[in-house]
Amino acid sequence: MTTPQQNLQSVLALQGNIVAAEVPQLRVQFRALVEGGAPHLVLDLSQVRMVDSMGIGLLISLHNTLKKSGRQLSVIHVSKDILDLFRTMRMHTHFSISGD
Amino acid sequence: MSDFTADDELVLDYLAESREHLGTIEADLLSIELRGANIDESIVNRVFRAAHSIKGGAGFFDLNKIRDLAHKTESVLDLVRSRQMTPNSELVSILLLAFDKLSDLILDYKNSNQADISEFVTALTNLTMASLPQEEKASVDDLVCIQVPGQEKQISVPAFDLKQARRAGKSLYLISCDLIHDVERRGRTPLEVLNSLMDGGTILDALLDLGSAGTLDEEPTNQLVLDIQYATALSRDAIAALLSISSEQVTSLEDSASADTAPPGAEPALVAAVPVPVPVLAPAVEPESPAAPSAAQSSSPAPEATIRVNVQLLDSLMTLAGELVLCRNQLNEAVANKDSRAIAEGAHRVSMVTSELQEGVALTRMQPVGGLFAKFPRLVRELSRELGKEIELKIEGGEVEIDKTLLEGLSDPLTHMIRNAVDHGVETPAKRAAAGKRTTGAIQLRAAHQSGQVVIEITDDGGGLSGEKIAAAAVSKNLIGAEQIKVMSEREKVALIFLPGLSTAAKVSDVSGRGVGMDVVKTNLDKLGGKVEIETAPGKGSTFRIKLPLTLAIIPSLLVSSGGQRFAIPQVSVAELIRIQVAQLEQRIDSAGGAEVLLLRDRLVPLVHLTPATASRGEKALNVVLIDTGQFQYGLVVDNLHDTVEIVVKPLGRHLQGLRDYAGATILGDGQVALILDVGGLAERAELSAESARGTRNVATAEQGSSEELHSLLLFHSAPEEPCAIPIELVRRVERVRASQIQYLGGRRTMQYEAASLPLVTLRDVAESRELAHSQQWVVIVFERDGRPLGLLAAEPVDMLETRLSMDAVTLRQTGVAGSMILNGHATLMLDIFELADKLMPPEKRESAMESRFVERRSGAVLVAEDSDFFRHQIQRALEAVGYRVLSAEDGQAGWELLDRCADQVSVVVTDIEMPRLDGLSLTRRIRADARFARLPVIALSSLAGEEEIARGVDAGVTEYQVKLDRDRLLESVDRLASIELAVSPEFARLTRT
Repeated sequence: MTTPQQNLQSVLALQGNIVAAEVPQLRVQFRALVEGGAPHLVLDLSQVRMVDSMGIGLLISLHNTLKKSGRQLSVIHVSKDILDLFRTMRMHTHFSISGD
Repeated sequence: MSDFTADDELVLDYLAESREHLGTIEADLLSIELRGANIDESIVNRVFRAAHSIKGGAGFFDLNKIRDLAHKTESVLDLVRSRQMTPNSELVSILLLAFDKLSDLILDYKNSNQADISEFVTALTNLTMASLPQEEKASVDDLVCIQVPGQEKQISVPAFDLKQARRAGKSLYLISCDLIHDVERRGRTPLEVLNSLMDGGTILDALLDLGSAGTLDEEPTNQLVLDIQYATALSRDAIAALLSISSEQVTSLEDSASADTAPPGAEPALVAAVPVPVPVLAPAVEPESPAAPSAAQSSSPAPEATIRVNVQLLDSLMTLAGELVLCRNQLNEAVANKDSRAIAEGAHRVSMVTSELQEGVALTRMQPVGGLFAKFPRLVRELSRELGKEIELKIEGGEVEIDKTLLEGLSDPLTHMIRNAVDHGVETPAKRAAAGKRTTGAIQLRAAHQSGQVVIEITDDGGGLSGEKIAAAAVSKNLIGAEQIKVMSEREKVALIFLPGLSTAAKVSDVSGRGVGMDVVKTNLDKLGGKVEIETAPGKGSTFRIKLPLTLAIIPSLLVSSGGQRFAIPQVSVAELIRIQVAQLEQRIDSAGGAEVLLLRDRLVPLVHLTPATASRGEKALNVVLIDTGQFQYGLVVDNLHDTVEIVVKPLGRHLQGLRDYAGATILGDGQVALILDVGGLAERAELSAESARGTRNVATAEQGSSEELHSLLLFHSAPEEPCAIPIELVRRVERVRASQIQYLGGRRTMQYEAASLPLVTLRDVAESRELAHSQQWVVIVFERDGRPLGLLAAEPVDMLETRLSMDAVTLRQTGVAGSMILNGHATLMLDIFELADKLMPPEKRESAMESRFVERRSGAVLVAEDSDFFRHQIQRALEAVGYRVLSAEDGQAGWELLDRCADQVSVVVTDIEMPRLDGLSLTRRIRADARFARLPVIALSSLAGEEEIARGVDAGVTEYQVKLDRDRLLESVDRLASIELAVSPEFARLTRT
């Protein structure tokens, strides 16, 4: 995991899929990231090939958490399938999502 | 104001022209509506020009109201033409009503300037206003709020999407799906679920309940609700089945969203509509006044004062009149000279010319039925909307001409029968969906000449007529005695519908069902000398066939002679002329059940002899006319075949009218009389019927049934002159290569492909075949195998061919070669690419991956129903290769019998769609109807699965669609369904293991 701290945003490049089995561990990572306090969190999904229902739940929890303190979430380098999925579910209306 | 007088010729010309324009506009507008955004400019232009010329004339004559209204319609049409406005049903409705009003105004043009056209002008103005460019954009973003039935919430749908979906005949649903419980816990991924939804319809919008996911600090969520707005042709239950959720989670928004089609009194639920307020125009819905059907419904139009006549016909009439004058002069002269021979000649000529003239004049009365048919699309459109049904009307044979008197007499009965078809025939979309039919009903109106008669058919694919119900209604109304019913056939019972005072409609609507109806239809048709027949199949629909005598029709006919007499056979009934040589008589003609049959290519047709004289067999060649009655075919044996001529049909004299063999008579060019054969009557005399003829045909099709389905094959060569073929579904792509691109590594051929190394095989690697020659242009055909590409090295020419598969799986069978077929006149090898691949890929590499699959798989068997030997073997081999036990069946019926016998062993069914005897969908329905198999997964295989086909499949109960021969996906799908099935029903799993 790499978390280069920049002034206003912290970027987390996820190394595996966002699926049920990974969710507990990712939840811990996300919490740490939130506690870092950057106003803008960026998740780099270039290594992610699959997102399941639990994974989507987790992403939304992260968004909800950030939103409570007026902060922002961006998801970048999303592969085409996942991008289609997010768009179909209209998740891009809640936080910024961009493809490769 | 106006200074015209009533008989001003110019005004009359203008009015006649305007009426003519208005006559065609209706059909054009409806076809504009049908095409939607896909505008046919020529049609729009035609309507536009009509409006324009009405406006122009009206301006000239100071008919201000007509001018203004025409002008408004013109502006709307202009926007449509320039594509600034998409014609939808609302727009077309307004235009239709506006043109109706124009018709009224033109009919009563003298008072037209006092008429009130304001509501129409407002409606049209609103339409044009709405499409001003900046608002046009807005309308795409416009949201329509819909109250969700039975719930507090309102949802908003983009108005544009809603309309698009409506136009495609889809319904709107709100699906509430829990990503955790309904997706995750069932071993599916959201992507799969959404993809399967998108296969069957369109996702308009989706809304995630963000709150239910909580924050990171809270307990991990166990609920994540996704609300999906979904437009589809599927039924509510089918959607639920597709997602394996309960149908309570699917809400139909249709009842509330379709305020325009909702019955009066229903609460209008369009809370905030599009910014254009569309005024409710005149005839919309006024249930209390039954006398308010729209213009199109008023069935008897005032008789037209003028008709159009072909100029050529008029010219020939003129010539005849000239001839008549000449005859008179000659006759006068002859009478003056008392030349009795010249008088006799003159009289003869006068009589000839007169009868020609009579015929010519009668011809001027022949009118195409298209004019009458043209009013029905609108009738159907409006009635079906009123009744909340979706109906497509198809019209055929509008060019058929019949006498004007007949045409006028037909108007009432036809209107009534079309109304009946819409009201009673076609069921409501919900009922249709429940019966596994397409929700959109179809009504077909067809006119044709048949054996000197005009046949008009009204066919619907609705619920059909029930003889029992009709009979019961007739008895309960004391129209007939209960005793009489007992001895009646089903057909006779159905015919009771023509009794006066009978109505079987459950409720009387103002459309039909008042109990006056079919009897009036029958009386009217009797007056015209016609008859009406009913064919009906419960659940499938009914056909009402009106047969009218064509006293003056001119029809092309084939002349034949038999027993020294000439006969005419209407060309429409002639399918083929066959001459059987003496030498072939033995082989081609057979006796079956005491009747002669002719072997015609792959089927048998019964033979009928026109005159007994030709029955003496075996001495001379036979001339056979293959007759197509529309329901079945038979061969008519005649002595000689002559020309095809156009004949004028004359009715037979009263004393001959009882003969069923003849439809009429005609006078040939040489003045002799020829009888016109009634092909149906002849068959009846020979005791042929549709049933028996169909029987023989079925025998023939069953024999070749396995090869009915068309498959696309990729043709190529391996060695020179060694044609090979494989099903195109397997091929990922084909690329040309040079020999130098191919590398030999570790004893194997490979090449660079998509930045990786592509293993290559040739047929020679596994089978006895020759090496590719360097003189050939080499190609690599790329396949996919276990998710990895694999290339087959082959050579040009590469070609595609669509053909029926009739493979010989024995003669040339060897490893890698499934069999052979004759294609384009060459014996062609059908390759088995998986076998080829097995040879190349060392088995141990896949072993480990497979071993684990083996364990879970052994439990159940897979039933494969597929009629093509080739595909069945392929699928069977693929499944067996990974450890499944396969029960294979060569069609749906065999599949069902096998399943029935081995009910407790089968855990997945894989079925083809097109099969003889029982097709895949019927098999699926039968499976679903059996309680034992309610949960048995069914995978349907298809070469091409369109959205509609998938929808039909899902309706029938298909669990999944897979493309034929996409082996990996099929295996993956079987794996998943087999394991889900086990997980879902442990009891069942236990059964399959014992």
